Amino acid sequence: MKIQSYRLLRFISNFFLYFLLTFFALVMIFPFLYMLATSFKTPADTFRYPPRMLPQNAVTLAVDGYDEPLPLYYVDVDGQQAEYALAKSNIKIGTYAPADNLTATVDRRLTEVKPTGGATNQQKVTVNGKEEKLFDVDLDGQIVPMILVSQTTVGEFIDPKNPETKIFQNVRLSEPVESVGGHPENYTEVIELNNMARALTNTALVTILVVLGQLVTSVVGGYAFARLKFPGRDTVFVFYLGTVMIPFVMLIVPLYQLMVLIGWTDRLAALIIPWIFSAYGTFLMRQHFITFPKEIEEAALIDGASRLQILRKILIPASVPALATQATFTFLYAWNSFFWPLVIINVGNEKNHVLTLALNVLRGRASDTPNLILAGAAIAIIPPLIVFIFGQRFFVESVASSGVKG
Amino acid sequence: MSEHQKPDTLTNLILRIAMIWRGVFTVVAAAGVITVWSGRLPEVPLWQKILLSLVLSIAAGFSAFGAVEIARRNHRGRMISLVIDYLAFVACAVMTLNIGEVFIGIDALAETFGRGIPYLGIVLAGYLLSSMDEYSVRKQTSEQSLKQVGRWVMIFGFILFLWQVDTINGVLYFLGKLAQPAGLISVAGMLIFGAALWTVWRQPSAAAMHVKTNHEQVISGWLFLSPNLIGFLIFFAGPLLLSFYFSFTDSDAFNTPNWIGLDNYAKILNIKFVTLSSPTQLAKEVVDIKIYDEVGRMMFGSWGILFAAADKFFWLALRNTLTFVLFAVPFSVVPALILSNVLNSKLPGMKFYRAIYFMPSIAAVVGISLVWQWLYNATIGYINYFITLGIEFWNNLFNLAIVDPKIQWVSDEKTALFAVILIAAWQTMGFNTVLFLAGLQNIPGELYEAATVDGAGAWDKFWGITLPLLAPTTFYVVSTTTIQAMQVFEQVFILMNPPEGPNNSTITLVLYLYRSGFQNFKQGYASAIAWVLFIVIFGLTLIQFQRQRQSSIYES
Repeated sequence: MKIQSYRLLRFISNFFLYFLLTFFALVMIFPFLYMLATSFKTPADTFRYPPRMLPQNAVTLAVDGYDEPLPLYYVDVDGQQAEYALAKSNIKIGTYAPADNLTATVDRRLTEVKPTGGATNQQKVTVNGKEEKLFDVDLDGQIVPMILVSQTTVGEFIDPKNPETKIFQNVRLSEPVESVGGHPENYTEVIELNNMARALTNTALVTILVVLGQLVTSVVGGYAFARLKFPGRDTVFVFYLGTVMIPFVMLIVPLYQLMVLIGWTDRLAALIIPWIFSAYGTFLMRQHFITFPKEIEEAALIDGASRLQILRKILIPASVPALATQATFTFLYAWNSFFWPLVIINVGNEKNHVLTLALNVLRGRASDTPNLILAGAAIAIIPPLIVFIFGQRFFVESVASSGVKG
Repeated sequence: MSEHQKPDTLTNLILRIAMIWRGVFTVVAAAGVITVWSGRLPEVPLWQKILLSLVLSIAAGFSAFGAVEIARRNHRGRMISLVIDYLAFVACAVMTLNIGEVFIGIDALAETFGRGIPYLGIVLAGYLLSSMDEYSVRKQTSEQSLKQVGRWVMIFGFILFLWQVDTINGVLYFLGKLAQPAGLISVAGMLIFGAALWTVWRQPSAAAMHVKTNHEQVISGWLFLSPNLIGFLIFFAGPLLLSFYFSFTDSDAFNTPNWIGLDNYAKILNIKFVTLSSPTQLAKEVVDIKIYDEVGRMMFGSWGILFAAADKFFWLALRNTLTFVLFAVPFSVVPALILSNVLNSKLPGMKFYRAIYFMPSIAAVVGISLVWQWLYNATIGYINYFITLGIEFWNNLFNLAIVDPKIQWVSDEKTALFAVILIAAWQTMGFNTVLFLAGLQNIPGELYEAATVDGAGAWDKFWGITLPLLAPTTFYVVSTTTIQAMQVFEQVFILMNPPEGPNNSTITLVLYLYRSGFQNFKQGYASAIAWVLFIVIFGLTLIQFQRQRQSSIYES
């Protein structure tokens, strides 16, 4: 009996825990789903309220006697909903009523009704203190002068199976027949609109070079810190450690002036060369190498191997996880960086834009087409997500280890 | 030691050459210093002249000393020669690359790089193939062949890649540039310094100069560290000092900066508090509005205090940044702490949730901010839609008539900063969850078992064991999140239009720094802002560190 209630309690508490976790998971993932879904929508679909997740398209149908396929709408036929095709829109309909009985209204097309007494000499009548124009309305073959009470625009809907059946109703208030379907051409459009292809290759190039360069300098420097004894090493190391907490914005002004001096403003080199030297990366590699058993290295030295050979043949092959960790960090940093490119690359120089800069330009250029903006955002966000899915272990566990050690 | 071995005549000759070379180098460097100050050089800013002559004088001095030491066959002479010649060699190599337009040429590479990317895929495939041998079952035979095949695939792919990105033309262009005088000089410099390095490096020379056995390690150590250290000095330490210098100047990035002392800091910190006699009293009645702007006022009934500052935007930015930190950090850290405790239970599926929580922190802030911009949209955005749904549900349930607020998230000055806070908290939460999780997994399980035996409930365990033992991780998480939050810029820059937000409600310190330094090009002033920002960050970290030390009694 006791065990039973314990099980029940545990079931309830687990249910509650999963509910909490799932709620947060939805919060975390929703903006991504929204981004993906919207990037496949048509502009009109994005501005719909209430918003819908899945991209939908208006359904069209080829009807005999019409060149273009006609869009389908839901219409009311004798209290029943039916799918009718919109054959003609923008038909102006007036609601007319006799001046002495404003409730007896009839609907006529504006084009069917003629002004009473001709267009130049139209007769008027005073209703409720206001002067109103009179029109000749055909009521069952009889011409009755009436005034225009109100006016609407409707569409002519026809039954696709029987094009002779017509129904007039307001187009804007009619629900269109829709089916779920995406527009992948948004992606090609945004790539053409904004030079995104070039931005993508620029970002890839910058990221690859920064990752490779930083790995090389960090591995070599970290090895020196961890394994070689030389005077001044510990002083330099403390110096390196101290700078890890200095925020990047401290450097942005002088680094910009340095780039002006060297002539690297507006150049991709400015996005690469300064970033291949990382105090933090060197620190991480040193922490890794210092855990390595010294004996293997000493044995290799006695066998006549050089330091570089030891590093290349023994240490690096055994450090692939640590290197991958460092590479993923650097990859994200280089891929996502925005502030420095914004400062150093001119807005007008689209040739050298990276993705984040291209997005910044796109934001202004396509401000009325969220589908394109979010397609652009997806182009910037999805590659790191793919890398994340494949290298999840490195990402998550490296973050965990950096926190514990640091 | 091999002191009984007499150096042969060749070594003596080489060492004599090395000594003469040191003498020549001294003379050339000294001549260089004189040229810098002779006025024959084209317009060079003062600080560059000072820097250049300083470097040259130090080099000349050490070189002269090195010459003497080589003559005395002291090992110190070898060390000095190696250092000077190595640095000069690196300088010449960088010069060569620069003259050959290798750095600038990255732009040209970017043009053709797109064509080469598929071939890099081949290289990657080759790498995967060659690393597959670790998993293959038939070790001896297939290991070798797979590795070989993989290597060949890699080489093949890389050659195709080089061909596709038009490397041949690039190399020809590089050589053409080098054929010009400046290029030839730098190549010659590389050769000369390389040869000079060899003269003292070679084993017989080393023996003749009585080197000690640990010298090899010293030299390797500095050599291995040198690429990193040189880059670090040029792109980090140097600019940091330069930033400090600029903060005392009126630098505008293009003209020679003038020293203006503490003026920048004085302007930032020039503030005034005055009492107001009525809530509607105008600022111009109590302060000199040629100098001061009103930042804010606080009323206590009929009287109040007016806060005025010479640079109103700085103080608004500081206010906004601190508000941001005050909310964004707890909003990120507290849910992370709760979630990590849940994830730490050994229920199935936790890794899946962990991965999902982590996703936002790897996405580009710019992209994320664009997504949220549309989520925040007042008429068609999902956030207002969910609020509307929630209110409708609530009203129907309890028969109430709560009015839908239809919040104008980004264009209302009351909510604009909050909108940014939500994005930042959302994006950093998963990262912090993983950090906490790692901290939790380091807490020994026996403690919990002991507590369970003592009859402690889950809540007691959380307060009594988890929180105290997690204190170091909490300190790390809170301080890194704070440092990051103090630098908030990208979210604001993308989300708000203009970035300052309605009525300056989202101007932050880094945004103001950007505006001063790169839109108004008051870079001296921007540097001063940067240093004030640093001091604020440093102070906050220090406070947290103190608190952590106080609470870490539990640990011991």
